[in-house]
Amino acid sequence: MSANTSAASQAIVFNLNGSPTSVTADPSSPLLFALRNDCQLNSPKYGCGMGECGACSVLIDGKTARSCSIPLKAVKGRTVTTLEGLATQGQMHPVQQAFVDAQGAQCGYCLNGMIITTTAWIEHLTERPSEADIRNALKANLCRCGTHLEILDAVRLAVANKFPATDTTTSANTTTTAQTSTRSLEEKTPWNRF
Amino acid sequence: MEPILSRDELMAADNVLLLLRPSNPPLSPAQKASTEEKEPELEVFVAIHGDGRIIAMNGHVDLGTGIGTALAQIVAEELYVEAKDVQMILGDPDKTPNQGATIASATIQITAVPLRKAAATARHFLVERAAAHWQCSPGELTTDGGKVIHAEKQQAIRYGDLIGGQRIELMVDEHAALKPVDEYRIVGKSAVRKDIPAKATGQFEYVHDVRVPHMLHGRVVRPPYAGRDGGEFIGNSLLGIDKSSIAHIPGIITIEVIGDFIGIVAEREEQADRAARELKVDWKPSPDLPDINDLENAIRNNPTDKTRTLVDEGNVEQAVKDAHKRLTRTYVWPYQMHGSIGPSCAVADVKADKVKVWSGTQNPHILRADLAFLLNIDENMIDIVRHQAAGCYGRNCADDVCGDAVLLSRAVGFPVRVQLTREQEHAWEPKGAGQLMEVDGGIAEDGHPYAYDFKTSYPSNGAPNLALLLTGVVEAIPAALEMGDRTAIPPYQYDHMRIRVDDMAPMVRAAWLRGVSAMPNTFAHESYIDELAAEAGEDPVEYRLKYMKDERARELLENTAERANWQPKSGPWQPKVGTGTNSNIVKGRGVAYARYIHSKFPGFGAAWASWIADVEVNQDSGEVNVTRVTVGHDAGLMINPDGVKHQVHGNVIQSTSRALKEEVTFNETMVEDRDWGSYPILNFPELPEVDVMLAEKPEEPPMGAGESASVPSAAAIANAIYDATGVRMRQPPFTPERMRAALEDAGVRPKKIEKPKYKPGLKSWIGGLGATALGALAVASPWRAAIPEITPPSASVYSAATIARGAEVFAAGDCAVCHTSEGGIRNAGGRALETPFGTVFSTNLTPDPDTGIGRWSFTAFERAMREGISRDGKHLYPVFPYTAYQNMNDADMQALYAYLMSQPAVKQDNPQTELAFPYSFRPMMAGWNTLFKNNTRTYDDPTQTELWNRGAYLVNGAGHCGACHSPRNLLGAEKTGTAFLAGGDVDGWEAPALNGQSKSPLPWSEQDFYDYLRTGNSDTHGPSTGPMAAVVEEMQALPDSDIQAISHYLANLEGVSASQPAPQTTTLAESGTLNATDFNSAARTFESACAGCHETRPDWFGVNPNLATNSNVHSDRPDNLIRTILFGVQTPADPELGYMPGFANAMNDKQVANLVSHIRGRFAADKPVWHNLEAVVKQIRANPGSH
Repeated sequence: MSANTSAASQAIVFNLNGSPTSVTADPSSPLLFALRNDCQLNSPKYGCGMGECGACSVLIDGKTARSCSIPLKAVKGRTVTTLEGLATQGQMHPVQQAFVDAQGAQCGYCLNGMIITTTAWIEHLTERPSEADIRNALKANLCRCGTHLEILDAVRLAVANKFPATDTTTSANTTTTAQTSTRSLEEKTPWNRF
Repeated sequence: MEPILSRDELMAADNVLLLLRPSNPPLSPAQKASTEEKEPELEVFVAIHGDGRIIAMNGHVDLGTGIGTALAQIVAEELYVEAKDVQMILGDPDKTPNQGATIASATIQITAVPLRKAAATARHFLVERAAAHWQCSPGELTTDGGKVIHAEKQQAIRYGDLIGGQRIELMVDEHAALKPVDEYRIVGKSAVRKDIPAKATGQFEYVHDVRVPHMLHGRVVRPPYAGRDGGEFIGNSLLGIDKSSIAHIPGIITIEVIGDFIGIVAEREEQADRAARELKVDWKPSPDLPDINDLENAIRNNPTDKTRTLVDEGNVEQAVKDAHKRLTRTYVWPYQMHGSIGPSCAVADVKADKVKVWSGTQNPHILRADLAFLLNIDENMIDIVRHQAAGCYGRNCADDVCGDAVLLSRAVGFPVRVQLTREQEHAWEPKGAGQLMEVDGGIAEDGHPYAYDFKTSYPSNGAPNLALLLTGVVEAIPAALEMGDRTAIPPYQYDHMRIRVDDMAPMVRAAWLRGVSAMPNTFAHESYIDELAAEAGEDPVEYRLKYMKDERARELLENTAERANWQPKSGPWQPKVGTGTNSNIVKGRGVAYARYIHSKFPGFGAAWASWIADVEVNQDSGEVNVTRVTVGHDAGLMINPDGVKHQVHGNVIQSTSRALKEEVTFNETMVEDRDWGSYPILNFPELPEVDVMLAEKPEEPPMGAGESASVPSAAAIANAIYDATGVRMRQPPFTPERMRAALEDAGVRPKKIEKPKYKPGLKSWIGGLGATALGALAVASPWRAAIPEITPPSASVYSAATIARGAEVFAAGDCAVCHTSEGGIRNAGGRALETPFGTVFSTNLTPDPDTGIGRWSFTAFERAMREGISRDGKHLYPVFPYTAYQNMNDADMQALYAYLMSQPAVKQDNPQTELAFPYSFRPMMAGWNTLFKNNTRTYDDPTQTELWNRGAYLVNGAGHCGACHSPRNLLGAEKTGTAFLAGGDVDGWEAPALNGQSKSPLPWSEQDFYDYLRTGNSDTHGPSTGPMAAVVEEMQALPDSDIQAISHYLANLEGVSASQPAPQTTTLAESGTLNATDFNSAARTFESACAGCHETRPDWFGVNPNLATNSNVHSDRPDNLIRTILFGVQTPADPELGYMPGFANAMNDKQVANLVSHIRGRFAADKPVWHNLEAVVKQIRANPGSH
């Protein structure tokens, strides 16, 4: 990609949170700016502009995408969903509700990315995930406040909504002791995943 | 909802009860010398309106901790209402009292006190009023639900009704009787954060979300001395800017330059963003920094402003000599980042008579003074509207960006929103200061702590607002700040003790970060006491308990040890035996305790905290894993226990991250880390298990809980590492590199064997000209005749079928890839093509008579296509692949001509190709053709299948695959024979070998080629990037049968099947595993910047290329990998494949080179090491190419 990118505006039409939307802008400009400035949405946040932190995440055709690193033209004809569009008939999406119930935010700036990523991840799950799966699902989402334990509680609650526990003792709950399994160097395998 | 009145409005309103106190702003840690004395004004703490609304004011702000919820609980409790009935207003200079900066986690402990008294005063007043009304004694009345109740009469009066339309101004009674703690119903019960539902649904308005009418967008361009704020060069380094360098970007309103301040205002955010990145600016070179990577000596050599002796008991100088066992130790704390997840942002609207700033500031009152000074206006003209921002844990760029915004708004006369970039926030945020702690001391013969001579050096200041410094309004004179003294006194009884603080000016821009100076000081105190315990042969918990001076601390530590099931250990350290399958991994446990003492010495104590950390250390790789943390925490009365618990969690995770991973790196002149890849923080898979034990002490006053749990962290982890390995770590972060070095020094790990040195010299890929060849070219150089112009034929002369066929030929030839400039009009030419001989510009292929090929007859067209001669007789350069096109059959050639002539004409003049001599001498190409142009070939080999022949025709004809994928000789001719499709160069990209010389770890099967050409991606080789993405996109117009034919032919090229081994499953399975020495900063960069996406994720948009099989990672040359990392993938063959950001702005050449080297070693371990990567990165960065 050269520095000499196009600046000629085009109308890009896509479906945003259930409504047909048209944004006229440089089609190579970041989707994030179009959503925030043209569509006046608050939820996708500028965090790094390099896809490293996840604060800008949105759903494109139901999949997690980092809107800071995707040009506007990429969503032409597609469906984009943000936190504003997850709720239906005034009811929060179950994943949103889980984050509220588990108090999964301190400053809350990363919350958008956490909820969006969790939503797409759970939607694509076919079987109950392990604790390691849950942690891995959010490994590219950064939080600086250290809200990780409450966020994990929230994800477990959301997982429990999709896969109701047969054994009540395993249901997610927020307790003083974080229910996180001990990660051992011996068990650690992220290097081999690629 | 009724509007919230300002202080001035309240003081003039009716029907309101106001609780007032004279203004008493505390000294700011960065107090300016020249603030003039002012008459104390009356400030409002609580207002109860006649309509029953209860408004409570606090000068501090919510930094993302939910503090507003806790403050509302306090007020509600005293007023006997529910927390939801209290509206908390925080940090609004027009409304709330000036209580200084929101720092030191002091909101609950200090600033909440007057609020509580104000609420109590109000309640007493209301009860007395009601008593007067009923003519009874106040003792007969109770309050509940916002009413005063006369139980006997069974009557009640609402608070609002008791105000009776008047304005009642009441001074806060400092001695008002407070509600007994045992009657508390709200305080001490966990309250749900009020702000989370709005944050979870995108309804919350952070400062980043402020939008005002006519708002424009600003970006700043910062000087190259990133992260520095002291010295004459600050504000004096700009040589000039080249406005023309952004002239091509629409929407630019202005470029504001004042001193070293540069800002750009544009109509749209992406315009400002792009302009700020592309503006060419000349700066003077910056003077060198001290070598901060040798931090110990850098701080030691930094001049001390003054040394303060805080404690001097006994005769420490003699005592250290007399000690039974003397230990002299040095501890070093690294520079660290606050690392707010959201880079700072502000909106400013500067008008002649009024300035309004929407800000995420931590210090609204101080900011207002700074901005007034910057704009040279009266402070009262400035209205600061505080919004929440991303958590900041100290001081980030929130105030700086307000300075930027007011300057830019002033320049354009409209509201301007300025968003700092991630790179700017990382580079310029005032860092948590490095610190040097030197201890001399020892134990007595019986093992008790005998002497402690402690000196701590803290190079920091208040980090003046950047706009003040960059514009030169304030001189950048480094000033020392007395802030190194937090928790400077150890909690243990030493017979002789001296505590000294060296206050010193900063070396780089620095300010307070969570646990400011207390965390480093405690790291020293608690590491040292652990060493003394070991020297005394005693259990580290027992030893601490024995000599601890504070009863409450002892109780906490005892309980924490019990909770963690601490097993006492005594005697000398014994080597641990590795457990499980990997005997290199040893486990250990460590303890530490601290009370955070904030504000200037002697300061105030906040909550008490103790840690027991469990770690695992891999003695081979040096990885340290914190597996579990047990934290004891005593905050006295907890207003909102859940809030405290969340704060403790946050502190544990953040401080574990700091202890294990975090350290700002500097090069000669500036901060190097500009993204999360170079400054990684703890992620979800790395989390420890956390067990929090909160002391229940409702009878004790509430203590700040925002930082305490961080303070013992690093020492507890270091002590656990010692327990595991017998090695003392005295400088965080405990990275694998540092751990390996310490283990090597201790003899636990063998010294690493030096790898063979890199061979010098970058293989030159731009060959020189051979003299003989040049001579040969000069021999035959006939000029060729022009072919007469024609009147452009009408499109109607061609049949639809012919045009359709031509469209397919056009697609097979992906003509538009070269003949369309980036973002330009299709086929109108103008793309700059980098060749080893210089830049060639493609021509206009549309039928425009003047600038295109409108006047070209078919004869002229065919001659160009087959012989490389332009209509006017000029020789074309062989970057135009006529050597391939000559193989096209007549029908395709005619169809292509028909297609082109039937397209819309576009008038576009393109730059003329002007190569340097001798290449500029076009007739020389005749000789070239004599040497290198083969005869036309047809593809009708009867021994091959029809599919093969079709594939061969497309590959060697219109498809001209060899133009990019075959190597060229020194004169730019495609090599043939075994070199056919053996890999070439195009536009700075490597076009990989398609024949038997392919370096792909897996062979390219026919199906792989098909997938790649049809979808732009092969799961086993990766997606197409660079020019090939455009080629694949063009080829979408080809029928499936043609793609199959090409795939079939390529998969059956001579030598392919013979030379490519069966899939090396063993090699691939091992690929991605790391050697012990590979656990380095580049590995962490990969984990933070790359690994998230480069993993198969069905729930993520786009493909997630597997680097273990990616052709670019396995190639002989790093070019494609480097190019992709620098510039990303912004034009994939299909949006479905997804995009990749570029990292050119965030990573310097060295960082990219290290990352590339890491990726190569990790995923292509069987391939040779790439050399001279930094030089290659530099070269590619300077030549971004056009794809």
